[in-house]
Amino acid sequence: MSEQEQSTVAEPLEVHFPQAVTPDERKGYQGYVVATEALPEVATYARDELGYDYLSSVTGVDYLPEGKTEVVYHAYRTAGGPALVLKVQVPREDPVVPSLVGIYPSADFQEREAWDLLGIRFSGHPNLKRILMWEGFHGHPLRKDYQEVYFEAENKPFKNRWPEGKVYRVEEKAPLKKNVQYPPDFTAEGWVPEGDAALYAGMGQVVAAEGGNGRALNTDQIVVNLGPQHPSTHGVFRLVVTLEGETIVDLEPVMGYLHRNHEKIGERNTFLMNMPYTDRLDYICAMGNNFGYSLAVEKLMGITPPERAEYIRVMMAELTRIVNHLWAIGFLLNDLGAYFTPALYAIEERELVLDVFEAVSGSRMMCNYFRFGGVARDLPEGVLDVVRELVHERLPRKVDELDTYLTHNEIIRARCVGVGVLPPEDAIAYGMAGPVLRASGVPYDVRRADPYSIYDRLDFDVAVRYNGDVYDRYIIRLDEIRQSLRILEQVLRDIPEGEVQTGKPQYQVRVPAGEAYGRVENPKGELGFYVVSNGKPNPWRYHVRAPSFINLTAMGEMCKGQKVADVVAILGSIDIVLGEVDR
Amino acid sequence: MDFNFQDPFTSIGELLRGLLLGWGLAPGLVSLILMLLGALVLAGFAMTLAGVFLTWLDRKLAARIQDRLGPNRVGPFGIFQPIADAIKLITKEDIIPEGAERAIFKLAPMLAVMSAVGIWAVVPFAPRLIGTDLNVGVLYIVAVGAIGTLSIMMGGMASNNKYAMLGAFRTVAQMVAYEIPMVIALLVPTMLAGTMGVGGIVEAQRGGWFIVLAPVATLLFFVSAMAEAGRAPFDLLEAESEIVAGYNVEYSGMKFGMFYVAEFLHGVTIAALTATLFLGGWLGPGAQQFPLLGLVYFAIKTAFVYLVISLIRFSMPRIRIDHLLAFNWKLLTPLALAAVIVTAIADKLAPALGWNRAVVHLTANILLAWATFEALRAYARGIRQRVEVQPAAVETGGAD
Repeated sequence: MSEQEQSTVAEPLEVHFPQAVTPDERKGYQGYVVATEALPEVATYARDELGYDYLSSVTGVDYLPEGKTEVVYHAYRTAGGPALVLKVQVPREDPVVPSLVGIYPSADFQEREAWDLLGIRFSGHPNLKRILMWEGFHGHPLRKDYQEVYFEAENKPFKNRWPEGKVYRVEEKAPLKKNVQYPPDFTAEGWVPEGDAALYAGMGQVVAAEGGNGRALNTDQIVVNLGPQHPSTHGVFRLVVTLEGETIVDLEPVMGYLHRNHEKIGERNTFLMNMPYTDRLDYICAMGNNFGYSLAVEKLMGITPPERAEYIRVMMAELTRIVNHLWAIGFLLNDLGAYFTPALYAIEERELVLDVFEAVSGSRMMCNYFRFGGVARDLPEGVLDVVRELVHERLPRKVDELDTYLTHNEIIRARCVGVGVLPPEDAIAYGMAGPVLRASGVPYDVRRADPYSIYDRLDFDVAVRYNGDVYDRYIIRLDEIRQSLRILEQVLRDIPEGEVQTGKPQYQVRVPAGEAYGRVENPKGELGFYVVSNGKPNPWRYHVRAPSFINLTAMGEMCKGQKVADVVAILGSIDIVLGEVDR
Repeated sequence: MDFNFQDPFTSIGELLRGLLLGWGLAPGLVSLILMLLGALVLAGFAMTLAGVFLTWLDRKLAARIQDRLGPNRVGPFGIFQPIADAIKLITKEDIIPEGAERAIFKLAPMLAVMSAVGIWAVVPFAPRLIGTDLNVGVLYIVAVGAIGTLSIMMGGMASNNKYAMLGAFRTVAQMVAYEIPMVIALLVPTMLAGTMGVGGIVEAQRGGWFIVLAPVATLLFFVSAMAEAGRAPFDLLEAESEIVAGYNVEYSGMKFGMFYVAEFLHGVTIAALTATLFLGGWLGPGAQQFPLLGLVYFAIKTAFVYLVISLIRFSMPRIRIDHLLAFNWKLLTPLALAAVIVTAIADKLAPALGWNRAVVHLTANILLAWATFEALRAYARGIRQRVEVQPAAVETGGAD
């Protein structure tokens, strides 16, 4: 569907749905408020007629003073362009919103997350259960009236935390030593964990027990938990797989083992305090996370960084991309069973890039380098020469080396070609982002589709591959490193002198009330920050659209019918970081 | 009795025998004691050499390949690292998981070590230095090697763990399959030497190592033995990145240590067998006069083959189970059969043609290899055509 067709055929939302859709007229807000029952209809129209085929973010905001809960949808066109923001407002006592999973499958995990953390029920969701908190958790922590047990509760269960000068943690006095709130009739002895049973129930076990699988050879299926402790899940992450011999019948990712309610903590922090906290999301790409968050807040504040800061930002973001892709390729090979050799070679150059990060920010990984309206400090002397040497000499050689040794390796081809195929239409529907989306033949890159910072004047190609298998996801990472090197060459050539920060550096920024969605093309995909401010020093809502998390939506689909060994390869090719998945 | 430096092993044996007989023990008992002593020395030698020195060498090599330093803290160049590891393993808690078949669970690591060391009984380390020169030595190797397979299956099934179970599944499929080309490839040296005794096979290589006479069979034996022993890239039974540790996931302490040692010894055993059966064993200049020199030749050849195995291990990703089996049934097994037939024909043809035996065999092998590559090329061409006819279709798996 071309742009012209769209503009002639489809009329804007508020014209087509005069009753159901009204523009959001609050100050500092954008988009449309949609009547609850009309949402599926509006979403279908937006997808099919207006071309907003890519639902990027679904989240909720609890407006306690107004007594409303709002669900916010950010949809984009894969052809490029700005967002279509849809909002649904429901009373916060009993928030029920129609689920969009049938229209946009990418809403699956995000709606579960909104249910888990905000208590919004999505009617029609096929599998609405907790995703980050555990089954049996009491309450929805992101609701503004949720009080953290012991720490925020009005009636403190224990009067004094420091009786006679002795310090103890309140958890130590709790009956089960955990920071949990139990339902009134709860007894620890009689408790049966329902989570796993519920999880296994729908996974084909029953069929096998009742009389075979309909094939000539009557075999049993077994359920295997890959994880939470498993060498190839890259952290504490669990894949519940039903196996028929070596073949995957069903697979469901289970996450939340590293959950620390990043967003809740983010809402308590002031705006600037969140900057170092974003480092901890995708800890391989701290600079990229900083970038996304500062974009969102800068949108709210209405400031832009000076020229030199923009160049420095892009330089850091692209170096981060290279680091991440080297890491991803190395550990994909590890998952394929190459005993650490390729991984160690791939991350050899990473250390040199991290030296650059340390020189500019003081820290290898937790950089905390960006500030609203610039970067924390100017580049120290000599850093540009180091980067120049890296970009012109070492990194291109490293990419060529990896290319030479890995790309045509017979075993790698046999293991990767045709494994975990994700067709382009599925990739879009599942909201896949970054290299995974582009390896499926969708040339969608936020740097091009919705340019931010100075990307609109840089010359680079959006890497794209067409088979959508593990092999293409590996190759595309090499392509992207090469494109990043191209960008870095231009940045190094053109970087101007000057200020690196608008105005005076501040510890406490004033952020006007309103909402903003800032997104960047992080190495793992589209990283978005949805920030709502009410004029106070800390954000009212701080939501992270984590690419690793949403890319897992299609995991089950990609793995079905493959072998056990392929699961780890597919997971490695998605390239997740648990700090970001679990938040 | 004067000590014969040209043949120290026999001399030591005679010395001990004389000493024990001098104590007034019965000759039969003396023989038994000497045999037990020999077994102890052999097993101890195997354990020390493989367990300490080769582990260290292996890890150092791996480190160098991977751009690291490797062990360098315990002793000079970290050479005592394996001893420190062994002490650690011995002092660890020994856990038997709930629901495990206790007897089988305990038996499995013992059998694993037994099968690896057992093979050494028929390996001639030097002239006249051989545990026992069985006249069915090759058959013995195959039989004892299969006990190793059994031990892995036992460990996997008895552990009451799904990863271990998956490892055992894979064992059954992989090891049983790869035994076939290995056994068939072993027929080639047997035919060339005219004997199944391992000592005889070494002696028969005086005219030319069997790697020259039968390069295809050498390669076949090497590859399928590697798969038999579960060395990378065929280490599916303990695929770390997929099924954590496979069959030995529930083992801890010295039981795990025994599996580790067994796996390691198995690797060394393959190297030793390849050296013995195809690289001339202890043969070398002057080995006949000075058996110690033969031992050195044998050690060098074994270490060389072992290092090749290590090199492959540290530079290859793992093969997937269906590719692995397809590779075996569609390529290795037919090729092994073809190699046997070609060897048989060439062996009869050589005297008839009046040419040098080695030249005939080598030519036959080269022809066989060429035919194999042609067949593979035709097969690949077929796949490529299929893919090109339907550009949308993507080749999934199979033996490509």
